[in-house]
Amino acid sequence: MMPLRTWLLALASFSFTLVSAAAHSFENTAIVRTVDLGGSLVHVTTTYAIRALENDATQYVVSIGEEESRSVSWFEAKLKGQSEPLTFFNGPLEPHHGTYSYTVDLPKPLSVNGTVNLVVETVLTHTTYPWPEKATQENDQALKYEGDLLVLSLYKTTTQRIKVRAPAPRIISYTTPEGLDAFATDNLATQAGATITYGPFANIPPSASAEFIKQHQKHIVVHYHYAAPVVEITSLRRSAEISHWGANLNVQNDMVLRNAGPALKGHFARIVHQSQTYFNRIPPHVIPSLTFHLPPGIHSVYYYDLNGNVSTSRLRAAPSVPKAAESKQHSLLELRPRYPLMGGWNYSFTLGWDSPLADSAGYDARTGAYIVGIPVQTVIPGAVVDQAELKVILPEGATDIDVFPPFAPITQHRSTHVTYLDSIGRPAVTLSFENLTDKHSGLIYVTYKVPLSAHLQKPKVVSVAFVTLFLVAFLARRIDLTLSK
Amino acid sequence: MSMSKAYPLPIDISPTTVANTASLVRIVAFLFISGAAIASRLFAVINFESIIHEFDPWFNYRATRVLASEGFYEFWNWFDPTAWYPLGRVVGGTIYPGLMATSGVIYNVLHSLHLPVDIRNICVLLAPCFSALTAWATYMFTKEMKDESAGLLAAAFIGIVPGYISRSVAGSYDNEAIAIFLLMFTFFLWIKAMKQGSALYGTLTGLFYFYMVAAWGGYAFITNMIPLHALALTLMGRFTNRLYVGYSSWYAIGTLASMQVPFVGFQPVRTSEHMGALGVFGLLQIVAFVELVRVHVSSKQFQQLLFVSVIVVGILGTLVIVGLTYKGWIAPWTGRFYSLWDTGYAKKYIPIIASVSEHQPTAWPSFFMDLHFLIFLFPAGVVLCFKELRDEHVFVVIYALVASYFAGVMVRLMLTLTPIVCVSAAVALSSVLDTYIDPVVPDATDGDADAAKKDRSTTPASSASVVELLTDIVTSGSSPSKRTKHARQGIIGLDTRGVVILNALGMLLFFVVHCTWVTSTAYSSPSVVLASHMPDGLHIIDDFREAYYWLRQNTPKDAVVMSWWDYGYQIAGMADRPTLVDNNTWNNTHIATVGKAMSSPEEVAYPILRKHDVDYVLVIFGGLLGYSGDDINKFLWMVRIAQGVWPDEIQEPRYFTPQGDYRVDDQASSTMKNSLMYKMSYYRFPELFGGGQAQDRVRGQVIPNPGPTLDYLDEAFTSENWIVRIYQVKKEDPLGRDLKGANAFDKGKKRKRTRPPVRRRSLA
Repeated sequence: MMPLRTWLLALASFSFTLVSAAAHSFENTAIVRTVDLGGSLVHVTTTYAIRALENDATQYVVSIGEEESRSVSWFEAKLKGQSEPLTFFNGPLEPHHGTYSYTVDLPKPLSVNGTVNLVVETVLTHTTYPWPEKATQENDQALKYEGDLLVLSLYKTTTQRIKVRAPAPRIISYTTPEGLDAFATDNLATQAGATITYGPFANIPPSASAEFIKQHQKHIVVHYHYAAPVVEITSLRRSAEISHWGANLNVQNDMVLRNAGPALKGHFARIVHQSQTYFNRIPPHVIPSLTFHLPPGIHSVYYYDLNGNVSTSRLRAAPSVPKAAESKQHSLLELRPRYPLMGGWNYSFTLGWDSPLADSAGYDARTGAYIVGIPVQTVIPGAVVDQAELKVILPEGATDIDVFPPFAPITQHRSTHVTYLDSIGRPAVTLSFENLTDKHSGLIYVTYKVPLSAHLQKPKVVSVAFVTLFLVAFLARRIDLTLSK
Repeated sequence: MSMSKAYPLPIDISPTTVANTASLVRIVAFLFISGAAIASRLFAVINFESIIHEFDPWFNYRATRVLASEGFYEFWNWFDPTAWYPLGRVVGGTIYPGLMATSGVIYNVLHSLHLPVDIRNICVLLAPCFSALTAWATYMFTKEMKDESAGLLAAAFIGIVPGYISRSVAGSYDNEAIAIFLLMFTFFLWIKAMKQGSALYGTLTGLFYFYMVAAWGGYAFITNMIPLHALALTLMGRFTNRLYVGYSSWYAIGTLASMQVPFVGFQPVRTSEHMGALGVFGLLQIVAFVELVRVHVSSKQFQQLLFVSVIVVGILGTLVIVGLTYKGWIAPWTGRFYSLWDTGYAKKYIPIIASVSEHQPTAWPSFFMDLHFLIFLFPAGVVLCFKELRDEHVFVVIYALVASYFAGVMVRLMLTLTPIVCVSAAVALSSVLDTYIDPVVPDATDGDADAAKKDRSTTPASSASVVELLTDIVTSGSSPSKRTKHARQGIIGLDTRGVVILNALGMLLFFVVHCTWVTSTAYSSPSVVLASHMPDGLHIIDDFREAYYWLRQNTPKDAVVMSWWDYGYQIAGMADRPTLVDNNTWNNTHIATVGKAMSSPEEVAYPILRKHDVDYVLVIFGGLLGYSGDDINKFLWMVRIAQGVWPDEIQEPRYFTPQGDYRVDDQASSTMKNSLMYKMSYYRFPELFGGGQAQDRVRGQVIPNPGPTLDYLDEAFTSENWIVRIYQVKKEDPLGRDLKGANAFDKGKKRKRTRPPVRRRSLA
C-alpha cells in the first residue's frame, strides 16, 4: 500500500507544476456533456473539442468539481472515434482550483491550432435518491438527481452545452438555473422528450477556479420517473479458489443486496403483491428476481443463504469456450430471493459455481508460470457495489506471485488460506474495492509458479497419514498389554 | 467326523483359516451394515438438503454453533437473553451438553486436521454416523447374549429399523442421536462388568453412564434398569462377588460423575427417580456383608436369621426413603414421571405435556410400522432368553418387559423398546437359522443328549429346577420354540431346511423393503421445508425459511417476536430474534400468557403484548395450502393452557359453537371470531378469493366474507403460500387515542371521501 501512496504523492506534486504551466496551452472550442440518468449509476459523457494554443501540447487536464468527484467511480478518456483509452493520472484536490484534475496524455503532440476531440466518460454513483422517500406497494417510483451544471475547465471555453437525459420522457420537474445570463445565448433550459438541454453557454473563462465556482457554478435537481429497480450491493465478498488437482476454479460470492428504491410505506401485504404478479403489474421498486450473466462453462452452481439452500432459481448454462475466444453466450441465472424485495429491504446470500480451470488459466512454458484471469465481479446491470473484496486463493506452495488488477485496488494484502488436505496452507491475495459499477468488469490477472514438489505435497501428506494409521493399527493388534495370562 | 451331513462341506481347511475367514466376513458384513445404516438415513439430505430438522434440533444446533465459535467455557456460561424474553435463560445449566460437546469435539478434531467441515454438516450427519456405532454396540451386546452371528443380525436390524431411524435421520440433531448408542454401549459394558466382575468394566460403565447423563434425560432408564437387574439377580439367589464389584464400581463412579452435569446436580441423591439405584447399592452392601459372614459362620439358622434381617433392613430402607420424601428431603416424582403410570394424568394436570404429539399413547399400528416382523420375533427371543436364563438373559427379560410397557404409554419411548426388540429378534432368528443351516443330521438320541448337556452346562445349578420347570411351561405354549425343539430332532431333508430358510430370507427381504419405504416416506421430512407432490415432480414449499429470513434481514436485531412455543427454537435459530416462549417449556405461566394473548380479543391482548415489548406476532396458517399442523388446529391447547392459569378469563367451551363443534366459519362463536389468533389467521384471507367462497382447506369450512379486521396490529409480512403470517404490534397512538377509535376515525374519513351517499333507502 505504501508505495502506491508515495507514488501518488509524487505524481501530485509533479502534476501541480505541470498544470500551472499548461494552463494556457489549450482552448475548448466546444464542450458537450450528456448526463444519462439511471438508478444507482449515472453515466456522464463529456466531449471536449480542443484546440492547442502552443506547440508540443501533450497533456490535457480534465477538471472535475470537488463534490462531483466524490461520486466518480470510473474515469475514461478516449479520442473521438477510437476505442483505445488514453493514459491519465489523477491528482488530489487543488484548493486553488477547487477541482480534481485528471491529466490525460494525448497520443500525438498538438501544434498550434491543432484540434482534437476528446471524449471523457465518467460513471457517478450515489447521486440519485428516491423521491418521495417512501412508496406503498401500489405507488410508482421516482428519483431525484442532484449535481453541478457547468463543465469546469482550466481553459477558456467558447461554447458548452449540457444535456440531461432521463430514461423515459416522464420528467416531473427540473431546475432552471438563474444568474447565468452572462454566458447564456439562448434558452437556459429546454425539455424535449426525455432530454433536458442546458445552454448553450458561450465565452466561459477558465472555470476551474474556486472563485468561478463560487460565483457561477449552479446546482441542478432533476426529478424523474424510473421504471427499473434501484439495485445496490452493499457488500460483495468474492473468493476464487484455484485447484490444479481438480482442474477447477471455484468462485463464490457472498453478497448483501439492498433495494435502494423508495422505502416501503406502511406494510407488505402479500395479497396485493400476488394480484400485481397475477396481472403483471409489479411496480418498479419491487425486485422479485435478478438476472445474473455468469461465465460460460460453469457447473455445480449453488445458491444459499444463512438458512440454507434457496430452491427458487433457474439456470441456463452455456457450454464452455476455449480460452481467449470471446464468448457470445452467458450462463443465465435467474435468481429469486426468498421473498420479493420491497423498497429498503435487504437480502444476503451466497452464490457460487465451479468452472473448468482451463477456461481461465494458461501456462507459459517459457517462464514456467501459470496465469489466471479472474473477473473482479459479476456485473448486475445498473447496480453499484459499495464495498467489494476479492480473494484469490492460489494452489498450495505457489511462489513468485504477481497480481495485475485492471484498475487500482484500495488495499491489497497477502494471507494464508487453509482448507481440505492442506498442510502448509495456500497463499491468498486479497484486494478491496469501492463503488464498482458496470464499467468495472475487467479481469484480475495473477501469475504464479508451482514447483513439482508442491504439486506432490497433497499425495505425500495423505500417504503419510494413512501409513501412520495402518502402522498404529498394526502395532495395536500385535502388542500385548495384558499383565497376566 | 463320522456324523452324517445334510450337504457337503469342504473338509481340509485349517481352523486358523476358518477363524480368519469368519473374522473377515464379520468385518465386511459389519462395514455393509454401517453403510446401510448411514445411507438409509440420508433420504432427507438427498430429497431436500443438508438442513437441521424440526424444532428441538434447531436449539441444539444454535448451542453447538456457540460452542464451536466461542469455545467451551463461553458455552458453559452462556446466558441467552433472547430466549424467554424478558426472563432470559441460563443455557449452560439447563441443558444436557453431551450432544453439543460431542459435535464440538468432532468439529475441533477435524479442523485441527485441516478438514474445515461446516458445523452444520457435522450436526446434520452426527445421527447417521452414531447409528453405525449403535449397530456396533448392539452387536457387542447381542454377542454376550448368544453369539457373533446373532450379533450381526441384531446390528443389521438396529441399523435399518424404522423405530430408531425415526429419531436419527440426517438432520435430526437431537439428544437421541447419540443417546441410543450410549444406552446400548453402557448396557454392554454393564453386562461385561457383571459377568466378569471386572472393576475396569464397571468403571467404564460408570464413565459411559456419565456420558449418557450428559447427553439425554432418558438416562433415568439406565439408572433404573441396572439396579432392577441387580435386584432381580439378588432375589433369584444369584448374588455373586462379580455382581457386587460391577454394580458398586458403576454406581459409585457413575453417580459421582453424573452429579458434575449442572442440569442434574444433586438429583441423584435428592429425587425419587434415582432412589432405586441408591437402595440397591445399599442392599448389595448388606448382602455382601451377609455373604462375608456366611463364609465364616456356617450355621444354617444363622443364615436364615441374616436373610430375615436383610429383608427387614430393606423394608426399613424403603420406609426411610418414603419418610424423607414426605419430609421433602427427596423430591417427589415429577409430572412427566406420573404420566408414565397414568396416561390420563397429563391431560388433566399438565396440558403442556399432553399437547405434545410424541407424548401420546402409542397406537397399535405404529408397532408394526416401526418394527415390522421384529415385533413377532421379539417374544420368541425373550422366551429363548428365558429358557437359557444366564445372568445376562435376566437383563434382557427385564428390559423387554419394562420397555414394552413404556413404549405402550408414550410414542416417544418406542425408541427405548427398539434396541431390545432388535436384540431378541436377532436371538430368535439366529437360533432358527443355526438350527436349520447346521449341516449335522443327528439321530434322535444324539440330539436329546446334546440338548440336555447344554442345559446343564449353562444354567446355574441352584436354580436349574425352576428354570426347567419354567422352560417346560413356556415352550409348551410357544410355537417358535416348539418348532425349534421339534426341528432339532427332525431336520433331515434339504427340503425342510430350504422352506424354513427361504421363509426367513423372505421375511428379511420384506423387512428391508418395509424399512426403506417407511424411512423414505414417513421419517425423512425436515418439517422446516415442506414438499408437495405435483404431476410434474416435487415442489418445495419453503415458507418457514422465507418468513424467518425476512425477520432476520429486515427487522431490528432486538425486535421481540411472539409466537406459540413450538416455533420458538426455529425463530431463535433461523430468524435470530428474541422470543417470548420456546420449546424448552420450563415456565408454564409465561406460555399461558402467550396463550392468553392469542385467545383474547385484540383490546385485551394489546396491553399484554405491549407489556412484553412484543414487536412482531407470528402465526402459522395452513388454510390456503391445506397444511394441517397450523396454529388454528393447535389453538385449543393454547386456550386450555391459558385457562389453567386464568380460569376466570379464558374458558374453553366458549370457543365452541353451541352444538359443541370447533368451527371457524360463520357459525363460529363470537369469542372464537374475536380472538387474536382467529383474526391474524384469516386477516384478508377471503379477499384472496375475489367474490368466491373463501374455503379453508384444512378445516373444509367457508370463511365469512368480509373477513376479520385488525385495529391493534398491522400485517407486516405473509409468506408465499400464506403459511407464516407476521404482524407488527402498533405503538400507542401519538394523539393518545385508543387505537380502535383512531383506526375507525381514519377509515371513517376515507369512507366519506370516496363513497357516494346511499340514496335508495326509500325502495326498501
